[in-house]
This record gives sequence, C-alpha cells and structure tokens, in this order.
Amino acid sequence: MAFDMEIPMLTVAIIMSFAVFFIPKKWQYLFGLLLHLDVIIATSMLALDALTGASAQSPALVYLLGNPIYLVVDGLSAFFVLIVNFTILTGVLYAGGYLKPYAEKKLKADMALHYFSFLWFHISMLLVCTVRDGLAFLIVWEIMSLSSMMLVIFDHQNPKTLKAGINYLVQMHLSITFLAIGFIWVYAETGSFGFDAFLTYFGSNSNIWLFLIFFTGFGIKAGFVPLHTWLPHAHPAAPSHVSGVMSGVIVKLGIYGIFRVVSYLKADFLLLGEIVVSISVLTGLYGILNAAIRRDFKQMLAYCTIENIGIIGIGIGLGLMGLGNGSAVLYYLGFGGALLHVLNHSLFKSLLFYSAGSVYQQTHTRDMDKLGGLIRQMPNTAILFLIGALAIGGLPPFNGFVSEFVLYCGLLEGLKSSDISQITLLVFTLAGLSIIGGISVLTFTKTFGTIFLGSERQPLDHKPTEVTLIMLIPQYLIVAAMLSVAFFPQFYLNAIGNLLADMGNGRIPMPASGLSGYSKSIANINLYFLLLMAIMAVSWFARSLVLRNRSVKMETTWGCAYLAPNSRMQYTGKSFSKSLSKMFTFILVEEKKYQELRPGEIFPGNRKHRSLYHDFFENRLITFMMHQLIYAVNYFKFIQNGRVQSYVWYGIVFMLTIFVLTALNILK
Amino acid sequence: MLSLILIIIASAFFTGIILRVKSMASGRKGPGIFQPLKDVARLFKKGVVYSETTSFVFRIAPTIYFSSVVMAMLVVPFGQSKGIVSFNGDFIFFAYVLALGKFFSIISAMDTGSSFEGMGASREALYSMFAEPAFFILMGSIALLTGFTSFQEMFAAFHIGSYISYALAILGTFVLMMVAMVENSRMPIDDPKTHLELTMVHEVMILDNSGFDLGLILTAGYLKFAIYGTLVVNMFIGMFPYQYSIPAFFVIQLVLATGVGLIESFMARFRMSHNAQFIFVLTSVSLLIFFGVLLILGKFA
Repeated sequence: MAFDMEIPMLTVAIIMSFAVFFIPKKWQYLFGLLLHLDVIIATSMLALDALTGASAQSPALVYLLGNPIYLVVDGLSAFFVLIVNFTILTGVLYAGGYLKPYAEKKLKADMALHYFSFLWFHISMLLVCTVRDGLAFLIVWEIMSLSSMMLVIFDHQNPKTLKAGINYLVQMHLSITFLAIGFIWVYAETGSFGFDAFLTYFGSNSNIWLFLIFFTGFGIKAGFVPLHTWLPHAHPAAPSHVSGVMSGVIVKLGIYGIFRVVSYLKADFLLLGEIVVSISVLTGLYGILNAAIRRDFKQMLAYCTIENIGIIGIGIGLGLMGLGNGSAVLYYLGFGGALLHVLNHSLFKSLLFYSAGSVYQQTHTRDMDKLGGLIRQMPNTAILFLIGALAIGGLPPFNGFVSEFVLYCGLLEGLKSSDISQITLLVFTLAGLSIIGGISVLTFTKTFGTIFLGSERQPLDHKPTEVTLIMLIPQYLIVAAMLSVAFFPQFYLNAIGNLLADMGNGRIPMPASGLSGYSKSIANINLYFLLLMAIMAVSWFARSLVLRNRSVKMETTWGCAYLAPNSRMQYTGKSFSKSLSKMFTFILVEEKKYQELRPGEIFPGNRKHRSLYHDFFENRLITFMMHQLIYAVNYFKFIQNGRVQSYVWYGIVFMLTIFVLTALNILK
Repeated sequence: MLSLILIIIASAFFTGIILRVKSMASGRKGPGIFQPLKDVARLFKKGVVYSETTSFVFRIAPTIYFSSVVMAMLVVPFGQSKGIVSFNGDFIFFAYVLALGKFFSIISAMDTGSSFEGMGASREALYSMFAEPAFFILMGSIALLTGFTSFQEMFAAFHIGSYISYALAILGTFVLMMVAMVENSRMPIDDPKTHLELTMVHEVMILDNSGFDLGLILTAGYLKFAIYGTLVVNMFIGMFPYQYSIPAFFVIQLVLATGVGLIESFMARFRMSHNAQFIFVLTSVSLLIFFGVLLILGKFA
C-alpha cells in the first residue's frame, strides 16, 4: 500500500532525467527543480510514515543474481531520507540563483550534465538509505560517488578542480573497495548478500574486524581522520550549492552506514565503542585545529565538517558503550545526540556553505584575508553566516547547543560506569569536546570578523552587492528549521527516541521513565533559551531607553593617535590564528616561501612572502606512502613496455595457463 | 535566589577591594571600595561615541555580553539553595553561555577594523579556549565523585564521605581562580593597568567602547569575578546551615579579592607567548583532581 504511488513517481523522475539533455537551456533548471520536487514529495511522505513507527517494504523491484531487491524504509532510513530531501531542496533552490552567472557562459550540455548528475545524486542517496542488499547497495553507492564527482568538477576548465575531482574519485573507490570486501566476507560466511545476513554473521563470529572494515569504508565517506583527505580538496572545488549538499548530507551517509552496521552488532560493544570514541575525539580536534588556521573559507568549512563528524562519532561511540554496559540512558543519549547532531550539522553547515557561496559569487575569491567589511554591502548574508557560526560553535540559544548538550549529558552519564579505562577515556573526551568548542569559537570569530567586519582590505574588481532573493530564501528556510530544533527539541528527540527504540529492538529496553532526569533538563532547554533571550531583550530595551536622550557621535577608530591609518593595517585572519598555529607546529604543517635578504643587498627590491598550510596526514603520511609505492612499482615497469607484441604475448600466456590448468584438473 | 543576591552584593565590593589592596601595597591610600561602581554610574550617564567602521554588531555586542553573564549568574547556586535555573548538566550551559558572550565581545573588537583590537581579540579567544578543558575536567571529576551533574547537587554532595575531598577543593579553588583570572583578564595573564596597546588583552578589545556600553562591559566584569568567587565558596560550604555559610561566603570572597590584589601588586604579567602554555598547565592540575577522585572512589584497585 505504502509504495503504490512512490514507485511510479520515482520511475517518472528516473526516465525523465534523461530528457534534460534535450530541452532548451532556459528551461533546464525549472525542469530539474520539478523532478527534484517529484522525488522529494514521493519519498518524504513515505519517510514521515516510517518515522512515526510504520516501516514499509516495497514489492521486489529488480532481481540481482536471482535475489529480489526491495526498498525498505524504517525509522533510521526515514530520518536520513528526510535530511537528504530537505538539504537537496534548499540546495536546488539556492542553485537557482547561484548558477545564473554560469548558465550564461557554460555550454548547454555542461549545464544539462550538471542538472542530470544532481538529480541522480539525489535519487542515489535516497536509494542508499533504503536498499537492504549488499550488491544493490554497492551499485547505488557507486552511482552516488560518480554523480557527486560530476558535480564537483562542474568548473572543469580549472585544472585544480579536475585534480580535486580525480582525488575524490580515487578515494571514493577506496571506500567502495572496503565496503565490497565487507559484503563479500559476509557472503562467504553466510551465503547471502542481504543485510539480514549480518545478523547471522555477527551472531556466530567475532564482531570486531568486520565492523572495523565497514567503519573504514564508511569512514572515508564520512571523513574520519586519517581518511579525510578528500574533503578539504573536494569541498572548495565544488560549486557552493554542491559543497553545501555534500557537506550537509553526503558525508552523513557514511554515518548512516555506520549506524546501519551498528544496528546488527551482537557483541564487543565496549571495545568498539572505545575505539570509535578515541578516533572521533582525535578527528574533532584535528579538524577544528586545521579549520582555525585556513585562509580559504570554503576549505575552513570543509575542515569544520571533519570536526563535526568527530562530534557525531563521539555520540556513536557513547551509544556503543551504552550497549556494552547495558545502560539504556547512555544508549539513548549517545546515539540520540549523534543523530540530532547529524540533523543539526546538515542544517548549519549547508547554511554556512550557501552564505560563503554568496560571498564567493560576489567577490570571486575564497581568501578571507582579501575581504573585509562585507556586512555593509551584504547585510543579509552576514547575518545568515553569523547565525550559522553561532550554531556550529554550539552556542545557546541555537540548535547546535541542544545536540552538544545531549552528548555532554551522555558523557557525564558514562562516568557512572565502573570501568576505570572507560571513565578516563570519557573524562578526556569531555576535555576534548570542550577544547573543540573553544577552538570553534576562535575559528568562527576569525572567519566572520575577517570577511564581514572591519573595512575592505583590498579593492575588489566588482563592487559586491547583496545576493538575489532566490538565494536568500532557502537560507532563511534553513534558519527556520534550525530555530525549530532549538526551541522545540522535544519533537525531534521523540522522533529520534522512537527510531532508536526500534533500532535497539530486543537488545536495549527503553527506560520506563523515559530518560529520567536528563530528559527533563533536555526538554526544558528551550525554556532556558527563552529566558536568555528575555534577558537580552530587557537589557537592550533598557539600553535604548537610556541612550534615547544621550548624545551619539561618530568618530574614526582609535588608532593610538596615528593619523593616517589605512585598511591594510587591520588585523588579518592569518595573524588572528597565528599564535594558535605556532603552538601546534607538530601537527599544523606550515610552508613558507620567501627569498632571504642577501648580505650585500643594500637596496632590496620588491619581494614576495608566501605561507601556506598543508594537511599533516596528506603531506606526511599519504604522500610518503605513495612515494614508497611508486618506488616499488617501478620495478615492474618492464611489463608495460609499450610494445604491442609483448601485450599479445601476455594474452597467449594467460590463455595457455588457463588451458593447461584446466586440462590438468587443477582449476575446476 | 539567595545566590543571586549574594553575587550582586559581592560584585559591588570585589573589584573595589582589589584596587584598594593594590593601592595599599604600593603605599598609597587609594580610592574607596565603591569607586568601581561610581565609575560605572558615571559611564551610564555619558553619551556614546562609535567608530565609523563599525556595524550593528558593535552596538549589540555589549548587551549580549552582559546578558550572557547575567544568565550564567542565574545558574550558580549557594550551598543548599539552588540557583534560579538549576538542572542536570547546568555547568555545561554555564560555560557555553559565557562563551556566547565572549563570541560577541570578540567580533565586536574585530568590527572596529583596528589592528590592536584584533590582536586583543585573538589573544582572548586563544586563552579562554585553553581555560575551557580545565573547567570541564574539574566539573567532570566532581560529577564522577558525587554522581550528580547539576551545580547545586554536585557541591552539596562534594564533602559527604571523605575529608580528602577538602584537599581536592583546595586544588579546585586554584583552578577556578585561575580560570577567573583568565576570564576577567587579570594578572598574571593580562595586566589591566598596562598603558601600551600592544601588551593588552582585554583592555585593548574595548578601546572603542564608550558610555553605556562600556558601563555594561565593566559591570559584567565585576559580576564575573563574583560568580567565580561564589563557585569557589560553594566548593567548601557544602550543606552548612546559612548562619555559618553566609559569613563564610563574605570571608572567602574577601580573602580572594585580597589575594588577587596582592598577586597583582607583587607579580609581573607572564610573557605573552608563554601564557597559553601556562593556562594549559591548569588542565594538568584538573587532571590531578580527577586522579584524586579516582583514588577516593577506589577505582585503582
């Protein structure tokens, strides 16, 4: 019953997606938007049903190797489906304004390919959340990676973009390799590719290694350190509506995968939980430290995504510990906090990417130290970015605080365990999470302050103006959603609680009193937010009352009585984070390029000083390993010698070998 | 409610006492204890001057900063009496609300487009970030010891069972007072009386604030000192009846204020480049408390 309408609607979208190549350029966007709406309506109805408790299964759609493939929507799938749909919706709306300047320059085929990929990207993400068969999962996962790669290289005339795209493609295939190994392993043990086979597998085998393989595979997508190196390249290279969606949801599908595997786990929860928490804290710290020092604001946001994946991972680890300790409260706080943070992060990160995209569209630079004072030309964008920045730092009264508070409560709840190693880990996590919060305040005050405040640092080619309404509306839509999480957290927490009860079926009982003391303080958090707002309102009112009959004068900024200040003297973003980066030189790799002053040089001419930061893991670890690999592989160069004769000869040898082996009955 | 009244009273004289002690230590008579309040009152009567570079951020920031401190004040308990707002995990809310205020004071400094104020802002962001883990580990350890997670319950149950907890309370006092120094930008982290913009931290951030806004910022600073002082008092009084705990409150606040004054008189500010490391040392003191708690709980067995 549930799938009666959805399957035809999806089919229409899939078939019609090819038509985008044949219609005039003017109508492509509208056509794509309609198809997206079609998909969103079809799947959101289903997901809303499933979220309220009724999971649904479609009739068999296709047969893969003789196995019927169903679409199954349960609470967990529904949660991610809704997040995907909302983020795609805002992304597509935003693209309407963002792509305007490009649409005039680009070929019709380029634009068509972009819209086509975007649609397939959307559909494949929904399918990833709903298929329950290993093979089918790998196929839709691959479609998702390929279509998102096409989106990343939208600006393919730029060689840097292409390079980032290829980097992304290679890393995504590493991810799929791990996943394939995992599925084949289960298949070898149980003879089935269905997800239910996990239950059998985990019931009778060690849970650790298989989980770690899946964790690696999904972790590459999600961006756990040290598997994160694609993120800081792909996000800045992609157009902003794509980076918003990628950061908002595509990395979250890695989290979805981890959740899905976790839901089948049977044993070893404690060890796995401790592993996940440790990796996550390091991920969070590494991500935010790198975010703090970047000058490229889109790269900063990419690193900040890594940080938030770390925060989500802490929640997953806590939930696993809850399963291990048999503590229902910890289970709900950990996984619940993680899921709520998934939702929150998809909201504020897409908001930040969109508003950063607006800045990029107007100024054509991603270097924050070339900007400044944009709050006067782009007030709406500035306010939107500020709201995103406050929320992502977990500051009240915004939604980021709600999910971080749930996670903190989980950490404190975990302290009640009797195991000293767990307690120590959790106390360090507590400290780690607070440092992450502190550095993210530094990061976002720096970014917001440098881009939007002060005065213009360099004259820009075009005078920036506020972006069009069509680009602002989706951002205000996101802000509305964020405020709804902040001020009505009960609604979201109930939905998450239900789906977690469903997911923990048989393993963990929902505590009879709900979440006891915690649920009360979490449920009341909106009241404290309101109180805070009220205090602010009263103080502001008092201030305006007092200032009404006081003199208000405008003067220049105090510059130590120096009479010729200019805007180049402002503090830059780079110097803002310099003292932090100096403290962490062992992990923040800075490269400086400059020419020393030679001893005899009495009248030095113009010279350049350049400094850039490298990613520690990419620069030190992966590059090193690649060099070693290339060195080793060099010895086999003689095989690929470019002579056709040799290649024919290889074929003959291969066939002969097969023939001989079969004839001798060695190969059956 | 009681804590609110006490904090407001304490904030009225805390900074005045520091100034008085400093004057006396340097051989002067010094201003009256309520001079800081008179300063604020005078500022409230003045008009304001804004920099031409600033935007609305600069106008709203002092109000938000002040409100965040007031909100944090409502969370703080006093002995058996809860704060006006008290819930499980309220110390997290306390820290994050203060961070909200800090966020705005930092961006308002960036809003002036000055080279000095950005420098102060960067330092303030860095130092307060390093102070954060010390506070969280301290609170986490007390939560571990007592099994509660709200300020009032944690402090009330702190000294039940073992007297070693008083030793921990002394270490905790050190951590909290140093955090208070960082938060309020006093010696040995920051010298409020320095005259060179390059060596200031907090003072340079508010160079362009004037009139009512500056008054709000100063008031928030006084309140902050009293808030941290009250937290320190809470570490000791536990469930004492009011006839002992309220005098103890004033005695401890007095001792703390005198201590701060003496430190400022006889110590020099740390080197700016070593400040962060120093603040990070606080975290290790917090860890010491954590291990002490583990000892008390017998987890090392």
